[in-house]
Amino acid sequence: MREELFASGRNIPNIDPYLEIWHWQIPSYLFLGGLAAGILFFAGVFTILGKENKMPTTVKIAPLLVPFALILGLFLLFLDLKHKLYFWQLYTTIRLESPMGWGAWVLMIMTPLSIIWSASYVREIFPNWDWKFKFLKTFETWVIKNRILIAWPMAIYAVILGIYTGILLSAFNARPLWNTSILGPLFLVSGMSTGAAVILLMSKDHKERKIMGRIDILLILVELFFITHMFMGFKAGSEASINAANLFLGGSFTAPFFAFVVILGLIFPAILEILELRGYKVPVIVPAILILLGGLIFRFLIVEAGQITKYLY
Amino acid sequence: MKKIKNDGSFYLNPYLGGVILGTILLLSFYISGRGLGASGAVKNTVAATVNVIAPQHVEKSAYYSQFAGGDNKPMSNWLVFEVLGVLAGAFLSGVIFNRLKLKVDHSPKITSRRRLIFAVLGGVIFGFGTQLARGCTSGAALSGMAVLSYGGYITLIAIFGTAFVAAWIFRKNWI
Repeated sequence: MREELFASGRNIPNIDPYLEIWHWQIPSYLFLGGLAAGILFFAGVFTILGKENKMPTTVKIAPLLVPFALILGLFLLFLDLKHKLYFWQLYTTIRLESPMGWGAWVLMIMTPLSIIWSASYVREIFPNWDWKFKFLKTFETWVIKNRILIAWPMAIYAVILGIYTGILLSAFNARPLWNTSILGPLFLVSGMSTGAAVILLMSKDHKERKIMGRIDILLILVELFFITHMFMGFKAGSEASINAANLFLGGSFTAPFFAFVVILGLIFPAILEILELRGYKVPVIVPAILILLGGLIFRFLIVEAGQITKYLY
Repeated sequence: MKKIKNDGSFYLNPYLGGVILGTILLLSFYISGRGLGASGAVKNTVAATVNVIAPQHVEKSAYYSQFAGGDNKPMSNWLVFEVLGVLAGAFLSGVIFNRLKLKVDHSPKITSRRRLIFAVLGGVIFGFGTQLARGCTSGAALSGMAVLSYGGYITLIAIFGTAFVAAWIFRKNWI
């Protein structure tokens, strides 16, 4: 057991010296939010590019999962709340300086958008589906006609949602591990990579898998670059930042972080995807599942380790 | 040098494989300060699982309490990570030499079912034995002999000696 003696006027249970308020719900939500953002971003971009028939899984099938992922994620956020019945008060105000306010409003836009988007493809994927009511059919016809109009805000808000999953943590100034602006882009890229992995898992089209595989390799490289720079930034920072980085560079999070996130979650699946592009036969389920698990473990480690790091001594 | 065939039939020369394995063992001592092992990873995983499900049992058990419970951290062990690496490396080798296929290797005279039952039985007996012997072929014999441990040589002779006898008794399963 690690014991620490410190003299302080602040001894607040669950907050000082270690934060102990965010449990499994938060990293699970961050994972689902990033994944949803990734899928919707690709769906929006490939629609804008006019490739919806060349990328059927990306644009039509994978987004069907998104409403479920977002609603499950929101339910997890709800579980985390202390005063659950007051959640609606987030929607009584708009505060640009509040990351949680941003998240609440972005989700308020993204969730209905994702439902509308996937609903408009339901009849194409399940031809026997019937919308029953006339106004739903009229609305569907309107959505199908104006898909590009919806694709633009969807792709843009997907980027905001992806960044927000990181900003939610980095806006927390009192925890040095989270207090870095690189967390926003890092979580965005990681979320996009997990979204691409889901598309790879679901796609049966060889060409589509090749395109998504290439994109995924690129995203993994960018993610590795961001992770390196995150630690370089910490190492060049204050003593508190250096201590935060040391948790991952020799401290108690080193082995799980490098084994499960960096090696098994990023480098190894990237090697497998490169081999697949070069003509080797790789069952796509292996790199895709590794990327998804790596993304999930990454969020768990960052949330857990961030709560331990502190400025106060 | 012969061109390596890419139809799944290529296997490394066993003597060259042995030299590579020895080099890896040397590197393992140099980098991690520990030898190689396989049964230790399984043991620690089992101990950690039991500790989650029945922590009181772990505390009472003379065997489990050595590895889990209290201040022990069975999963932050070099062997657990090493075995994950072995799985990843083996998968990569299967991809590169085009040998990835879900199948059960067995003699044409027996069924896959019989082969699997015997494999599980053999695995259980071997797992039980490794815990009595404090290590398996890699942990006790290979790594033990590398540091000139007397026990390592005895383990090797016992494992392969028994295997010769057992192979003769169960030969009908293979030939």
